[in-house]
Amino acid sequence: MLLQPVLLLMLSCAVIGVSAGTAHATDTAPGPAEDGQWTMPAKSYGATRYSGLTQINAQNARALRPLWTFSTGVLAGHEGQPLVVGETMYVVTPWPNVLYAFDLRKEGHPLRWKYRPDVSSNALGVACCDAVNRGAFYADGRIVYNLLDGHTVAVDARSGRELWKTAIADMGDGETVTMAPFVVADRVIVGASGGEFGIYGWLKALDLKTGKIVWTGHNMGPDKDMLAAPGTFRPPYDAGVDVGAKSWAGDSWKSGGAPVWGWISYDPELDLIYYGTGNAAPYDPEARVGDNKWSASVLARRPATGELVWAYQFTPHDNWDYDATGAMLLVDLTIAGKPVKALVHFDKNGFAYTLDRATGRVLVAAQFAAVNWAKSVDLASGRPVIDPARQTGVSKGKVSGVCPSLEGAVSPASPPAYSPRTHLFYTSTNNLCMDYAAAHASHLRATPYIGVDFAYHPGPGGNLGAFIAWDATSGRKAWEDKESYPSWSGALVTAGDVAFYGTLDGWFKAVDARSGQLLSKFKVGSGVVGNPIAYRGPDGKEYIAVYAGIGGDWALLAGDTRSDDPTDVREPAEFMKDIARHTSQGGIVWIFGL
Amino acid sequence: MVHCREWDPHALATRTAAVFALLACVTLTACARSAPPPAPGSSSVPPAIAYEAHVSAGGIPPAGGALSNPHAGDAAAAKAGAQLFAAMNCDGCHNVGGSGWVGPSLADGRWRYGGADAAVFSSIYFGRPKGMPAFGGVLGADGVWTLVTYLRSLPMPSDVPTESWEQP
Repeated sequence: MLLQPVLLLMLSCAVIGVSAGTAHATDTAPGPAEDGQWTMPAKSYGATRYSGLTQINAQNARALRPLWTFSTGVLAGHEGQPLVVGETMYVVTPWPNVLYAFDLRKEGHPLRWKYRPDVSSNALGVACCDAVNRGAFYADGRIVYNLLDGHTVAVDARSGRELWKTAIADMGDGETVTMAPFVVADRVIVGASGGEFGIYGWLKALDLKTGKIVWTGHNMGPDKDMLAAPGTFRPPYDAGVDVGAKSWAGDSWKSGGAPVWGWISYDPELDLIYYGTGNAAPYDPEARVGDNKWSASVLARRPATGELVWAYQFTPHDNWDYDATGAMLLVDLTIAGKPVKALVHFDKNGFAYTLDRATGRVLVAAQFAAVNWAKSVDLASGRPVIDPARQTGVSKGKVSGVCPSLEGAVSPASPPAYSPRTHLFYTSTNNLCMDYAAAHASHLRATPYIGVDFAYHPGPGGNLGAFIAWDATSGRKAWEDKESYPSWSGALVTAGDVAFYGTLDGWFKAVDARSGQLLSKFKVGSGVVGNPIAYRGPDGKEYIAVYAGIGGDWALLAGDTRSDDPTDVREPAEFMKDIARHTSQGGIVWIFGL
Repeated sequence: MVHCREWDPHALATRTAAVFALLACVTLTACARSAPPPAPGSSSVPPAIAYEAHVSAGGIPPAGGALSNPHAGDAAAAKAGAQLFAAMNCDGCHNVGGSGWVGPSLADGRWRYGGADAAVFSSIYFGRPKGMPAFGGVLGADGVWTLVTYLRSLPMPSDVPTESWEQP
C-alpha cells in the first residue's frame, strides 16, 4: 500500500475519527497496577511494551535529556533491552554475552557485579548475521538468558552467582541462540537461530529451578516430533496428519530451518504461549516444494507440556526469507462490534495480521508497507493471493523488484508496542525492495545453507524506513514518521502518550503517540537497533533507557560502519551509501529523564 | 549472478583424499635457514603456520615446512575454485565474490592471517578462531588449493584507506 502524503493525512484523520466509533480497541482487562519495573523483554506477557508511567508525557517530553551512559565494551549490534528489577538494572551484551547489574540507588550507577560466562568464539561463525542477544528474563530471583554458543544460564539476581547452565543447541548442526528466554511458571522456554544453516527448528522448555530440559517440540516434521496430538491440535486451516512433514518435498523438512529467534507471549486465561517461526531453508524454494509447514508461521502451545494447539502459516512456501519471528501482541479488541481476544503481528512479508488468538483464524490482514509478492490475504482460506511473477527459484533466475526485501517490511528484531489509551500499535518499518536470484545450495553441516544472490533498492518514495502508528481493527495506518534509513529499533509507548524509538543513524526520538509529532531527539553515539524501556527509579522519578549500538545484519549494513578490523575494509552498500557517515559501531547504554 | 553448484562435496572429499596424501609429501619441504629442518616424518615439528605479519621472539622464525600452491596462476583451477566457493557455502559468510558479510572481506587486499598462498591455505584447511570452519577434512588439500587459487585470482583493489563523503 503506497499512499500519497495528502491521502495519508486524510486517512489518518479518518482513522482517528473512526477509532471512537464502531471499530475500536477496548482496554477490557485492566492489567496489574504499574509497578515501575521492566522484568521481562516486552514488559508484559501480552508483549505490548506499554508502560503505565505518566511523569514523562506529551506536554513535557521536549525537556528530555540524557542523564547517564555506560559503554558495554562490545561492538556488535545491541538488540534487546535492559531489565529493571527493584533497584537494579540488568544489561546483557552481544557475544561474549556479559551480564551487568547496575545499582540504580547510587550516583553514577556503579556495578553491583558483572557475570562473564565462558562462551565459545566459534559461535561467531555459526550466527548468520551478527552476534546479537535479545535480552534476559527475570523470574523467581533469577536472571535467565541465552548464550550465543547454544547455552541457557540462570544467574542469581542478587549475587550474580551462576545457578545453572544448560546446553540447549548444537553449533555443529548450525544452531546458535540469540533470542531472550520466556518464563511461564517453572518453565523457561527457548529456541534456536539457524534458518541460514538448515536446522531442524524447535522450541524447548527447561525447568526454572534446575535447568533440565522438560520438553522439545519441533516446528515441522511428523506430528510426534511436533508434540501435535490428534484431537488437540486444531489448526484453523490446513488440518491433517503429519502435515509438518508431508508439506515438504521428500525429507527436506529435516533441514528446513524454521528457527525461533524472536519473541514469545502468553495468555494466562487460555494458557497458551505464542511464538513465530523463521524462514524455510534453503532460500531456493524449488529445493523444498510444498507449503513447508510450519515455517514462517505462528504456533500456539501449552507451556507445561509443549502440546501444540494451533498453528497458522503467514507465508506458505516461503520464497523470500520472510521469517515470522516478530512479536505476537495479545490485546483485547472490538471488531465489528464484537469483543475479540486478538493476536496482532507485523510480518516481514509486509502484512499486519489480526488473529483470533483462541483459534488462529485471521480476522484482518492488511499491507502496512510496500508489498507486491501478494495482493491480499484471503480470509476464508487464510492464504495469501500470490503474484506468480514474484515467485523465486533457481529455474526463474533473477526475479527483480520484489517488495518487501528479505530484511522484511519490519525486522522481527524490532518489536512493536501497543497503547490501550490510543488503541494504536506502534512499529518501525523498512521500505526496501530487492532483486532475488536463488541458487543451488548444498547442505554441509556447520556451514551456511542459503543459496541466493540479492540486491536491495529503496522502496516507493525513497525513504528507507519509517515509524508508524497502526489501527489493527481496521488495518489502517494512523500516522507515519518517515526515516532516511531502515528503521530497526523496537517501540515503547507510555501512559504519558509518548512513543519512543531510535534510528539507524543514531537518533533517539520521542514522539506524540496520538499525532506522531516529534517531541525530542538526541544523537546517541551509534545507530539504535535496541528497544527502549520505561521505569521508575529508586528516587520515584520516571526514566527511559535504551541501547545504542548499530548492527544486527551485515547484509543490511555492508560493513563500512565498522572500524575495529584493519584487515576488513568494504565498499558502502549500493542502496545506502552514506550510513557510515553518520554512525559507527559501539554499544552504549543510555538513560534519559527530565 | 546465479551460481552453478555442480560439486558434490562428499565425492569431492573422497577424490581429493588420495591427492592430499600425495601433495603432502611433495609440497611440505623444509625451508628454515636459521634452524635445522625437521626430520622427515617427525610429528614434533608443526608445518608452517607463519605469515608475513608474524613477529618472532628474538627475531628468529620457528622452523617449519613450506607450502606451495600446485595450481598457482592456473586459470582453470581458479574457475573451479569459484564454483567450489559457492558449493562449500563460503559465500554464506563471505558474500558472493568474497566481498564480506558476517565473515571478513576476501576481496579488499587485506588479510587477518596473511594473504600469501600458504597463509590462505592454512586459514581454509585448519580453520581460524571466531568461527572459520576447518575445510581440510571435507575438501582435502587439493580442494583447498583450488579455493586459494580462486581467491588469488580476484581483482584486488589498490588499498584505499580513505572513505570520503565530501565533494571533491
